[in-house]
Amino acid sequence: MAELSDIANQTIQDEIEEYLERPEEIARFVELFSRAKPAMQDIAAAIIEGDDDEVDELTAKALVDGIDAIEIMDDGLIGGMGIVGIKFRENFVFVPEVLSCARAMRAGMAHIEPILSASGIESQGTVIMGTVKGDLHDIGKNLCIMMLRGSGFEVIDLGVDVAEDTFIDAVEESGAKVLGMSALLTTTLPNMGKTIEAMIDADVRDDVLIMVGGAPVTQEFSDDMGADGYGPDALSCVAVAKELMTSAL
Amino acid sequence: MEKPQRMTSRERVLAALAGQPVDRTPVCCPTSVATVELMDLVDAPFPNANREAAPMARLAATAHTILGFDSVMPVFSIIQESSALGCKMQWEGKDNWPTVRMSEPIWDKPEDIYIPNNLLDHPDLVCVLDAIKLLRQELGDDVAIIGKTMGPWSMAYHCFGVEKFLLLSLDDPEATKEILQKLKRVTIDFGNAQVEAGVDALTLPDHATGDLVSGEYYERYLRDLHTEFAEKIHCPLILHICGRTVDRMGFIAETGMAAFHYDSKNGPAESMATVHGDIALVGNINNPETLFSKTPDDVKAEVFANLDAGVQMIGPECAIPLQTSIANLRAIPEAVQEWHSRH
Repeated sequence: MAELSDIANQTIQDEIEEYLERPEEIARFVELFSRAKPAMQDIAAAIIEGDDDEVDELTAKALVDGIDAIEIMDDGLIGGMGIVGIKFRENFVFVPEVLSCARAMRAGMAHIEPILSASGIESQGTVIMGTVKGDLHDIGKNLCIMMLRGSGFEVIDLGVDVAEDTFIDAVEESGAKVLGMSALLTTTLPNMGKTIEAMIDADVRDDVLIMVGGAPVTQEFSDDMGADGYGPDALSCVAVAKELMTSAL
Repeated sequence: MEKPQRMTSRERVLAALAGQPVDRTPVCCPTSVATVELMDLVDAPFPNANREAAPMARLAATAHTILGFDSVMPVFSIIQESSALGCKMQWEGKDNWPTVRMSEPIWDKPEDIYIPNNLLDHPDLVCVLDAIKLLRQELGDDVAIIGKTMGPWSMAYHCFGVEKFLLLSLDDPEATKEILQKLKRVTIDFGNAQVEAGVDALTLPDHATGDLVSGEYYERYLRDLHTEFAEKIHCPLILHICGRTVDRMGFIAETGMAAFHYDSKNGPAESMATVHGDIALVGNINNPETLFSKTPDDVKAEVFANLDAGVQMIGPECAIPLQTSIANLRAIPEAVQEWHSRH
């Protein structure tokens, strides 16, 4: 069994020791980073520190050194963001820090995405994402989209202030099996339920599984409005999407 | 302290804001209790009620005349100042809130900030001042009129974009402070203009929310500014910040503001214990689950929990969804009456 001391990068070691509390998560990240190449650990550490220049440089170098793009994405970029997501969930960091780490991840993905697109790797599935009508907040939705794309999903981003008909059209046109709705405001939250009702009226509700999230959304509210899944943050969004995608197949 | 004889709604609210005894706990709406049903009852629909003084005043008055609250609030949204500053607006229709197109920010750096000298003459601010005067004429001195002046942190979201401003707060703290320092003039000037127009108190929303930034951020960027607002704006202030805020309530209690409007993500008892009586609390009836989705009895249970904890003023946690039922809103003052009849 891997030990914390097996991880070469001191920052990663310190982060796991200081911020991770759940035994299964500690075990998962110790296993990941003790197996990951030192260069991948360095990328993950730079992600955690929100250093986009460093991630840009290290990712480019790793590709030149012949490391596989998927390995860089999984062990370096997503590995680092995984720790950031846990720190966010546990209130060790807040949105400015997460945005900074996301900016660093985008710097790395700018090198990786063209390679993945050209390689024709099979997608995990298509997810439609949008912020509901009347709500123009997109930070949470965009973080979810970044994590979904980083995890191999194809994402159709409908943007913010998305009308019910736009969601319905997207379901009909794309054939996507999962749809995610976001809302930041308690005042716009009811528009999630209205969108689901509109989908029932348009006879497309059974064509898609719906996940919801956003600061005021809770599991109870999600259940009440008839959504199929709920996630409190971008990290759990990926897990929910994977679960829904599996049950949709 | 001895319970006073029967007070007017206005006396009750002002006493609670001053930390003085009340005949019963006041029911307040520091943000908005506007609903589509209320708009229909007084023919004051959005967006007119956000842009014209007469429908704004008519809709605001319903908080007292129809719902039975002790205060009225003519500023339903959080965008009047941002509109006056030149932000791109989406005024929406009757069943949606007006909003700022934050993806199209008007400024990029502190030097871009331009606040016109005649800002208070902008129609979207004038209508608020005129609505306050109409409400005072209509309601006399019996009902508390609470106005609203936005804090610089919230205005920065609108003018610079949320993501850009939050990243700037991490990348360049000095530039962030410069933005806040420049925008504070709007908060103070519009606040004092509303005082002159006749408000009894002002809500000051400044969305350094627990869902976005840390308590340490509040201390670093906003505590001193909010203290300055409490000194320079000439009426009691009610700070409004959504989300989980217990980690910053101690700092908020140090600002000299009269009250903090708090969210249902914070328990009434833990919140009261955190502020140690240094600031009054107002809130925190849950919007999306309780007021919007549940029954009057569920609303009453939350009101009782707040009263049991000693919360000084009761009201929804934030601006309510526009489709909230009148029955659920009326349950708030009913529950307050019921609780006091037993205590």
